[in-house]
Amino acid sequence: MTTTHTPAVSRPRPAPRHPALVTARLLRLELRHNAMLWMLPLVFALFWLTTYRKTMAMPPLWNLRAVSLQSGAILDFIVPVVGAAAWMGSREARRHTSELIKITAQPRWGRLLTTWAATTCWALVGYLICLGVLYGMTARQASWGGPLWWPAAVAAASLPAFSALGFAAGALLPSRFTAPLAAIGAFFALALSTQLITGSQSYWQVSPVVAGGWDLGPDTGVGTFYPYLPDLSIAQVMFLAGLTVALLAALALPAGSGGRRVRAAAAAVTAAGLLAAGTATVLAGTGQLDSQGMIAIPALHDAASDRPVRFTPVCSHTAIPVCLNPAYAHYLPVAVTALAPVLSEIAGLPGAPVRVSQAPATYRQGRGNSVSTGLAGPAMSGRPAVFRLLLPSQLPGPAMTTTDLAAEIRSSAGLGIVSSIVGAGRHPSPVQQAVLAVLARASSLPQPTSPPRSTPTGSRKRAAPSPPAPEPAPGSPAYAAAQRFAALTPPARRTWLVRHLPALRAGRITLAQLP
Amino acid sequence: MNVEITGLTRRFGRTMAVAGADLQAGPGVFGLLGPNGAGKTSLLRMMATAVPPTSGRLRLLGRDPGSYGPRQEIRRRLGYLPQNLGYYPGFTVAEFVEYFALLKEMPPARVQAAVAAAVERVELGGKAKARLRTLSGGMLRRVGIAQAIVNEPELLLLDEPTAGLDPQQRMVFRGLLRDLGQRATVVVSTHLVEDVGAACAQVALMDQGQIVFHGTPADLVARGEAPAAEGQDLGDSPLERGYSAVLAGGRS
Repeated sequence: MTTTHTPAVSRPRPAPRHPALVTARLLRLELRHNAMLWMLPLVFALFWLTTYRKTMAMPPLWNLRAVSLQSGAILDFIVPVVGAAAWMGSREARRHTSELIKITAQPRWGRLLTTWAATTCWALVGYLICLGVLYGMTARQASWGGPLWWPAAVAAASLPAFSALGFAAGALLPSRFTAPLAAIGAFFALALSTQLITGSQSYWQVSPVVAGGWDLGPDTGVGTFYPYLPDLSIAQVMFLAGLTVALLAALALPAGSGGRRVRAAAAAVTAAGLLAAGTATVLAGTGQLDSQGMIAIPALHDAASDRPVRFTPVCSHTAIPVCLNPAYAHYLPVAVTALAPVLSEIAGLPGAPVRVSQAPATYRQGRGNSVSTGLAGPAMSGRPAVFRLLLPSQLPGPAMTTTDLAAEIRSSAGLGIVSSIVGAGRHPSPVQQAVLAVLARASSLPQPTSPPRSTPTGSRKRAAPSPPAPEPAPGSPAYAAAQRFAALTPPARRTWLVRHLPALRAGRITLAQLP
Repeated sequence: MNVEITGLTRRFGRTMAVAGADLQAGPGVFGLLGPNGAGKTSLLRMMATAVPPTSGRLRLLGRDPGSYGPRQEIRRRLGYLPQNLGYYPGFTVAEFVEYFALLKEMPPARVQAAVAAAVERVELGGKAKARLRTLSGGMLRRVGIAQAIVNEPELLLLDEPTAGLDPQQRMVFRGLLRDLGQRATVVVSTHLVEDVGAACAQVALMDQGQIVFHGTPADLVARGEAPAAEGQDLGDSPLERGYSAVLAGGRS
């Protein structure tokens, strides 16, 4: 065997002094040639079709828009992001560059992380554009309050996790079918995860599409009178961050991904990520629907969040002012118009409220997936009396018109006001029933019906503040008395009411005494 | 020695691809000849640190590629062109070469100049901004050579580098090989004996996983000057005759 005895070139080539600069230049190349960049038009189209239009049709309340954004954006982004990430993760195997790249000095893990980072960057850019447009439009429309950042943060934290999920699938199981299968699988896993939620104490609430009490859905009252509770969002971000870290660290576990130390560190980081995700899931399982309609997790709860938000109500300039939370300022004219007949009918009567003031709803988790909402305490309270108005959980939007809202206010608050004045509680006397029926008719209110109004909507029940008494049955003595009382002229009826309302409320008036 | 190989074997399942190869090579162009399935590519992949040997001793650039740290050091100074070049169709020529320069951990400040020089050396300067999907097979081969030489490797491994090149480009490439061989160890695996004759100072002939000849091209020519057995076709050129004679001798 012939040998050539020439000394080997032995001067070592040092590793680059600026690894960050090398990474930055690799990232720039990856950003230019990333599949996620080409998916952005699809993402924007999906977002516009399924989330933006639906969300912008909702009332301009930050809480509704933010909650809708969180779940909508996540479902819009998951398929393109997981698909693009899986496509990029499987690139080396698909393009047969694995061997050529394998023999370069750059560790496999660092190289893969750069490609993942580029994919995630584009996904986040797309999301920030969507968020900016939706929140920008909401800022122009909303009358009060500011953006809720926790729902936006959960959606943002979902993207690196989805990207890591797809990328790991592509890198560890490279195939041309990996991208579509991973994308479809992730979408169905996410969508179906919410089907397993039962009540407020469910581990599945850790799913990032859940933006509060799952059985409650977007609710106008949540996060308006009290600060938006970040408890569930914190658990979700923790879960997503843990998942992201675990998946990315798992990329360094196969042989050849790095040195022994790198792989040992990656194993430790994978374990830590899984531990964080598991802990977050357990925390989410301890959540409870609190009285403000949000999920409180005892271990993450900050008592300062239970203090009501300070606000200056917007009030009408009517004889009995109607005052709403400034977030609902758009609906003040509707509420005033709806209540004007009844307020003019009762103005000046003894016991009439000096003000109708919007009050927050309280929420209670019922059996299974049912949630009850209503007023805490009596509808009429204080001296002088103030009627506490509970606006419907649904406001004019895709499924409700302004006319519907006015009718809803008349039938719940209008009847509630009259009922409170007459003293018709759950068990009114026949004479109270008769007077209530006449006043309701005079105020153009719907006639009280039996059983009391309690309107279950899906799994949710919203109870009227004080159930109005049923109208007297035709042919009964109360019915006859009501007919007699209704036949009086309005001034005569009013004069009688001014004199006898306290006695009527106290139950000291009989049917015979009714003129 | 830049390449020191002793008793090297590589087994893929039941197939013994390389069966006890011994080889030493310093700077210069080294040709690796052999018929299909002789084990050339497997030997080259082991030298490229793409696959570890099953047994035997391998030292590259004075280091043991079996350990992580030395392997990274070897890879920083290595250039490799595989038989089937994978590429990213959306990258431009310059971007593809830059990508590999960065993966080879070249100092960032030198990357741009090195990329331009490598692209010029394979005569693709005018196509630097062309996307790879628009290039012909021969041009892609030259891109592969450019990425292999961009880091001025001390050990350059080329598997069938002239496949797909036109005669003009093959002549240019041979000149490039001779130039590169001034400073580095260049191992060229090929079927084309004329490439070996034109560019290589040393040549090894592999057959059935073993190195059956190692010498200069002149030594190989000399092996073909013996009279052929009756009915034996030894080829047209002197090198081909040497090649055939060595293989025939080894198998008999």
